[in-house]
Parts: sequence; structure tokens; C-alpha cells
Amino acid sequence: MDTIISPIALYLICVLGALGIAAALPRRNKALEITGGLVFAAAIGLAVLVLGLNATESGQPLPNYFFYPFAILALGASARMITHPRPVYSALYFILTIIASCGMYLLLSAEFMAFALVIIYAGAILITYLFVIMLATQAPSSASEQFIDETDSVAREPVISCVIGFVLLAILTTAMFRGVSDLPTPSDPETQMALAQDSVLLNLPRKVDRILDRAGVLQDHERVARNEDGTAAIDIVNRTITIENTDLHTVRLLDSDQWPDKLAAGNLDRLGYNLMHDHPMTIEIAGIILLMAMLGAVVLARKHIELEEDLKAAQARKLGDSMSPTAGTGNA
Amino acid sequence: MDHLLHSTQLAQLAFPEAVPAVTMAHYLFVSAAMFVMGLVGFLTRKNMIVMFLCTELMFQGAGLALIAFGRHHLGADGQTFVIFVLCVAAAEAAMALALVVLLFRHKETLSAQAWKELNG
Repeated sequence: MDTIISPIALYLICVLGALGIAAALPRRNKALEITGGLVFAAAIGLAVLVLGLNATESGQPLPNYFFYPFAILALGASARMITHPRPVYSALYFILTIIASCGMYLLLSAEFMAFALVIIYAGAILITYLFVIMLATQAPSSASEQFIDETDSVAREPVISCVIGFVLLAILTTAMFRGVSDLPTPSDPETQMALAQDSVLLNLPRKVDRILDRAGVLQDHERVARNEDGTAAIDIVNRTITIENTDLHTVRLLDSDQWPDKLAAGNLDRLGYNLMHDHPMTIEIAGIILLMAMLGAVVLARKHIELEEDLKAAQARKLGDSMSPTAGTGNA
Repeated sequence: MDHLLHSTQLAQLAFPEAVPAVTMAHYLFVSAAMFVMGLVGFLTRKNMIVMFLCTELMFQGAGLALIAFGRHHLGADGQTFVIFVLCVAAAEAAMALALVVLLFRHKETLSAQAWKELNG
């Protein structure tokens, strides 16, 4: 743990963060809120400083200098989100948190998830939240001097919650920092990665066909040979590809030096293959969860309209007429 | 033209180094802090919409940890799990917002304390 952060600094950061958030949560005393914000900013600054300095001292490569701005942005925006008295601003600060964490996803080379997160979270889920905030917020009464409702302007039990939260943070980070150096690292990452990428290619013979065709390696009536189980005939250890001529039924071998650069499975290929090949049942379950959520939302949010008996009868008659207009005219 | 490597090749070369433990710890620290901030917000805020927003913040913290672990092990499983986390978050948002609208119609307020007589 000492290579990452010294325990004293870690607990100091947790205490400072708890003090800052506890003071910055919405309350009547506005001066205390600003002080709390400053204390929390100091906690983030201290954390970044200590983590960064320790990483440099331990001689291991830094994450990436871009990590620090994104981390500061994510933590600062999430602190502002839980302390801002107005819900709309909270939602907007949450969008900022998401965009900052998308930056971190990019640094972790999860490009697809980063952009999916922007579209789904910031574009869809948060807009739904904003809709409901706008729908279900009382118009500010001009009688009250403060335009913010009591619900939002005063937090409930800030001290106890912050103590609970940041004790949890101290425990979590202690456990993680102790355990993280014991994580198994891939012994030979480059080869392993190449093997993993090529083994995805094995299962995508038509993609291999397409790439080879575009690179101009394939002649007419040629395609990558398929094994009996439908996988492409690629020898991933020696990096050779067997190419068959479908007309003449001849076979030739493509050596690794003719292997085009573009013939590699990217992040999206590997993610899609992993999703569809290793977790097909989970997709079904996710679909059912979403369907049930949709049904549940419709059932919960529908409005009961009370009608008198004769009004109901009139409504039914009107509906019946409009559905079968010919029957109505026939009677007349 | 040796220095003009193909961009795809560069990306492939840059990717396959495992994240060292120190770097991993940085990402895990941020994810834990985001999770805890969501927890504190959920406990302290009275506005129901903000409370549910705070649960989304907790999802976000978990997602960052998943992506970091996935990157560490050079697999795609972490990213796949984040897709499912997104799914659950969307389902949760739909249900929670329907519930909020329902409760708002009853009491004309978003305060969770308006429902404190429910002593489940």
C-alpha cells in the first residue's frame, strides 16, 4: 500500500473530504457551504498530489497525464451534483461527471463504451430525468423570498451520512490499495493480446475475407479456407492464412509478411464477439428487464380517471360508433 | 517513411500493455470516491429525483471500476458488464421516474419526508 499512498495521507484525505461535503451540503448558512466546497477542493487536490507524487517515486509509468484532469473533473462535478440545491443543476453536473468518466474510459481504451455512455446516459437517461424534474417541480411561489423549496435547500443529517460514507471510502480504498498489487498481471501481454485478437479473427471468416480483398491480397474466386467447424483456417501461432480457390479447388498459404496491417480485431470486434458469444443468455435477460421496466413504468404512471356510470356508458357508445361507422349509418 | 507507421498498427502496439498496479489503484480510487459521493447524496438529499440521480452516480462508479479491471486483464468482459450496467440503469431510471411522478401526484411535493408516515 505504501507504494501507492501512505495510509496517513489517505485517511487525511477521507477526513477532509467528509468535512468538506458535510459543510457543503445545502444548508441555511451559505458561508459554510462555500467553506465546505473549498475544503473538499483541498481534499481532491491533496489526493491528486499524493497519488501523482507516489506514482512518480515508485518509478512505474504514470497512468497518463490526461487521467488527472478527468479525475478532478469527475470528482468535483459529482461533489457539486450532490451539494447543489437545484435539481436541474444537479442533473447537469451529473452529465459533466459522465463526460469526465467517458474521458477515463477512453484512456482505458474502451472507446465504444465511452461513446455509448455519452449517447445513452447523457443523451437519453439524463434528458428523461430533466423532463421529470421540469414536470414535477412546483412553480416557485413569489411569496417566499427564497425561490428554492425547503426540500432542496436543507440537507437531512449531513454529518452522520458523511461520516458513514467516508468511513466506507477509507475501508474500500484501504482494501483496494492493499490488494491491487496482488492482482495477477498477464505474463506476456503483447503475445497474449495478439493471440486473443487473432482468435477473434478465427471466428469471423467473412470479415477476414473482406479485409484481405480490400488489401488486394485475394485474386478472383479466392477466399479464406474454412475449417470443418466454420472457423477461418488461420494458424495464429505462425501467423499464416490458408487461402482456397473456390473455382479450381487449389490451396495456397499466405505468409505472415503478406499479412495486411488492417487484419486485426479492434475493440469493437472483441466487445461484440464477447457479448454475443460469451453472454448470449444475459442479453435475453437484459431485454426482459427492460421490457418489464417499460411495462412497470406504464402501469405505475398511468392516471386513473373517475367517471360517472352514465358518462362511462356514453363514452362506450361513442367509441363503438367511431369504430364501426358503417353500422351506425345502416341503422339510420 | 519509417516514422509514418500505420495508425492501426500504432493503436495495436499501444494497447497490449497491462495497466500497472499503481495506475489501477488510481482508477479504483476515483471509482470508489464516486460511489461514496453517490451514497452520501442518496442519504442526505430529500428531493426524490436527486436521490435517484445519486444512485446513477453509484452505477457510474461501479462502471469505471469494471472498465479498469477489464483493461487490466486485457479482456472485453469488463466492457460487456458495463453494457448490462447501462441496461439496468435505464430500467431503474424508467421505474424510478414513474414512481416519482406517481408520488408527486399524491402529495404535490417531491420531498421524501412527505412519506415518513410509511413505517415499513
